[in-house]
Amino acid sequence: MSLDNLTKDWSRYRKGIEEGGFHNYEHRWGMAIDLNACIGCNACSTACYAENNLAVVGKERFSKGHYMHWMRIERYWDEDQAREEFPDQGAHFLPMLCQQCGAAPCEPVCPVAATYHTPDGLNAQVYNRCIGSRYCSNNCPYRVRYFNFWSYPESAWPEPLNLQLNPDITVRDKGVMEKCTFCVQRIRTAKDKAKMENRKVKDGEFTTACAQACPTSAIHFGDLMDAESAVTQLWAKHQVKRHDEQGLPVSTQHKQNPALRGYRVLEELNTDPSVMYLERVREELA
Amino acid sequence: MSGNEIKSFSPAPFRSILSAGSATQAAPLPRIERRDFLKMMGWGTVGVTLAGCDLPSTVTLEEGKETVVSYLSPEEYAIPGVGVWYASACLQCPAGCGIHGRVREGLALKLEGNPDSPVNRGKLCQMGQSGVQTHYNPDRLGKPQLRKHGKLVDISWDEAWKVLAEKVGAASGARVAWFTGTVSGHQAVLIGEHLEALGSKHHFVHEVINNAVGRAVNQDVLGEAMPRLDIDKAKLVLSFGADFLGTWVSPTHFATEYAKFRSGTRGVLVVAEPKMSLTGANADLWLAVRPGTEGMLALGIAHALMKKGVSVPEAARAAVTAYAPEKAAEITGISVQRIEQVAALLKQHSPSLVLAGATVEGQEQGYQAASAVMLLNVMLGNVGKTLVSRGEFPFPQLSPRTGNTRDLVAFAAAAKDKALDVAFFYGANPVYTAPDSLGLVAALQNIPFKVVLTQFPDETAAQADLVLPVASSLEDWGTHVADYQPEQGVITFQQPLMEGLYPGTPGLGDALLKLLKMRAAQKYSAFNDYFSYLQNAVASLPEQYRAGGLTNKQLWEQTLQKGLLTVDSAPGSLNTNVGEITLNEIKADAEYPLRLIPSPRLGLWDGRHANIPWLQEAPDQISKIVWDSWAELHPSTAARLGVQEGDVVEIASAHGAIKVKVYVFKGVHPDAIAVPLGQGHEEYGRYAKGLGVNPLKILSPAVDARTGELALYGTRVNATRTGVHEELVKEGRNNISQRGRKLVATITAEQFRRTEGV
Repeated sequence: MSLDNLTKDWSRYRKGIEEGGFHNYEHRWGMAIDLNACIGCNACSTACYAENNLAVVGKERFSKGHYMHWMRIERYWDEDQAREEFPDQGAHFLPMLCQQCGAAPCEPVCPVAATYHTPDGLNAQVYNRCIGSRYCSNNCPYRVRYFNFWSYPESAWPEPLNLQLNPDITVRDKGVMEKCTFCVQRIRTAKDKAKMENRKVKDGEFTTACAQACPTSAIHFGDLMDAESAVTQLWAKHQVKRHDEQGLPVSTQHKQNPALRGYRVLEELNTDPSVMYLERVREELA
Repeated sequence: MSGNEIKSFSPAPFRSILSAGSATQAAPLPRIERRDFLKMMGWGTVGVTLAGCDLPSTVTLEEGKETVVSYLSPEEYAIPGVGVWYASACLQCPAGCGIHGRVREGLALKLEGNPDSPVNRGKLCQMGQSGVQTHYNPDRLGKPQLRKHGKLVDISWDEAWKVLAEKVGAASGARVAWFTGTVSGHQAVLIGEHLEALGSKHHFVHEVINNAVGRAVNQDVLGEAMPRLDIDKAKLVLSFGADFLGTWVSPTHFATEYAKFRSGTRGVLVVAEPKMSLTGANADLWLAVRPGTEGMLALGIAHALMKKGVSVPEAARAAVTAYAPEKAAEITGISVQRIEQVAALLKQHSPSLVLAGATVEGQEQGYQAASAVMLLNVMLGNVGKTLVSRGEFPFPQLSPRTGNTRDLVAFAAAAKDKALDVAFFYGANPVYTAPDSLGLVAALQNIPFKVVLTQFPDETAAQADLVLPVASSLEDWGTHVADYQPEQGVITFQQPLMEGLYPGTPGLGDALLKLLKMRAAQKYSAFNDYFSYLQNAVASLPEQYRAGGLTNKQLWEQTLQKGLLTVDSAPGSLNTNVGEITLNEIKADAEYPLRLIPSPRLGLWDGRHANIPWLQEAPDQISKIVWDSWAELHPSTAARLGVQEGDVVEIASAHGAIKVKVYVFKGVHPDAIAVPLGQGHEEYGRYAKGLGVNPLKILSPAVDARTGELALYGTRVNATRTGVHEELVKEGRNNISQRGRKLVATITAEQFRRTEGV
């Protein structure tokens, strides 16, 4: 998208929360992550490193928070752990990645329109437009934007490690913000292929690197605009509704059956995430 | 993955380059008896009919001739800018997963699970994902090295093979040994052939993360060393330290089974272990059992079941009677109420599955403790329901030589006794994994010629006389049979995804053929390389495995394209021969009050992946620590020692001491101190060297009385503060509470079954 185009269409893509966000989606890539299946093993995270040319920053820089986990597993313990001697119901694992919000707090604050909303429903980051103000990261409630404080190409990929780099996407350099793209290169390839064959992208035709690796198939990926897709069906089954489905005013209390497991993280902020989580399950064994 | 079409191909565009050195007409096969031939090809069988199996007359497929394909007229599928996927095998651990590798412009870029593999079903763990970083690792060795005047210096390949031929030729064959990690398939066949040609019986097979005691118990009680475990059919899984989601036997396979186990009616997971594993972190009920007392806990549960009317096999009655829940509670630290509760759950959820892992088995009475755990399966009637006969693998020659620690002890003893003249090392790093108390490093000086086949300058290579760099798993040919076979038996095929990065570097099979030709030139003269050997092996497959009258070429291509060959075995039925169980009481030790838990991590594994930057930077699943070692201490123990997170403690056993930072954590028993495996490398390249500590070094040499396996979890230690403090580097810093926000929401299983249960 050229800058010209962007400024012209600015209002089209910059629908605020009071207008329910952007509506005319071509696709809206989304996920459902089942926390009953997630075992916190990290396969998704490493698969993301392999697919998306994520730099290894080393211990020193990691300690300063400079790491690049586009997909990370957060681990929490029971809230009342302070009173217990042992964590006898295990851990709480949360795979956390960019939620590709429909009304994203990161987008309106970018002074140079490097972060913007695509007609695919992605919060895209234009690397060569980014000036590194880090406002987007500051405004992201999910802490899923990662800044290149240093130039990593030489330290992270000493020869011949560089031969592994995915040629379908770039390697980011110092001063640039980066984030999960829902494997936009895979989306691109699938869309191009479908276009060449004069058809629509099929559900399950491709998936993200994290979803593909996941040993328990906890991550489901697909097009929320495709009523037949597995991920749309899961959202429907668990009665989680996108803002553009709900109409105004949007509500976070839209479930008919509150016993269903679907929810979106920090939904009350009205960010309209494209990632739905299914609640973790534990036996009651007091 | 559904979107990736796996191309039909003559092996690969780079195939021609791989065999460039051997693009000549192969010599005709010498006359070999059919039975010998099948043995040489790895299909030597026990009780399998070979009717209709013709000895291929032109066994060298296409007469071993290769055409060099120019990149100017590439195969129609090799389009610049478009990735092509090839099937191969993952060698990052011995589980035998199948992979698909994406190749573009001759470079392997990304690995995914092979959906056709019954082992990993299209999934791939983080170690598998990192296969590319093993392959492209900047610290890989490219040239052979020979020790001259005490120092390893680079030499040419010609010199290396010459020195090897001289030294092995001069040695007495019976005094030559192989020391390897778990090996299987045709590589194992050739190692066997090599030793046979030498007249040696010394094949030591070593893995730190192993299932040796469990296999012995399975063999004695069930009659099969590795039966099938139907986790998905169990309504309750009770695991005593078997980290089947992380580091136990076949983690990716079990994770796919776990997903089924947790859906629908949703099985219950109870885990009892002294340090929380990844499996424990997913438990409905996690029990912090006093280290070394898991067997008594199993007997206490058996006793509670007995009181509920479950019958106890006669042989075990005395042991079960001796451990009333009250007594078991006192010993294990698990309350009577919990023991009764677990017994009630087991009775309520049938069939169940009870598993014993490393923390149970790695004790001086590990075999007895694991038998007590198996007793529960017998009592609960799980044998035949969730523990199912796998039947014998039809080609025992290809079955894995499974690693253990008994062979490590035996090897150290043999070296000490000066019983060996030449030792070959492959796929194992004993100088790193052997406890100092075994005296291995000093004993190695008694072996005059040590040849290390490795990709990396590891600790064992540093002690070598000759270092032979070998191809990475993405450059090599091979066949692999995992110890754990799922419903469908499978031989996984490994083919190169790209040309070797370091010219001259042989694959393991090629190196073995070279060695064999030094001893039995005539027998192996027909095979120019391991590629042609494997082609012959496939061409001579028994008729029953070649459906539809395929030609040799078609069969070979189809096998490589799928990346595997499925095989059938006839499952029998399992026994329930419970023997007598004798568990002695464990005495307290005032000088060394704590037990050291050298806990394995899915990631660094036994230390072999410490040189992979992705895995160093991947946080530990439980503590979220990166790039380091740490000691997990329960808050009560930490308070007693007067230490907090980041304080350095000295952990001392009777056999040595390590200094390591403390991580205070409730998921560890107060009598235990857990230090993860993997760090503390003195060699092994830039990413591994000098980070953290290696807890294996201070282990005691005590072994399990029955199996001779090292009691890896039996070492007693004490810990003292040193006054030094260093911050631990963690992902998410100290963010362990959701602070009332709905980040990870939890519902009850009862509610789940109501809304989603089947």
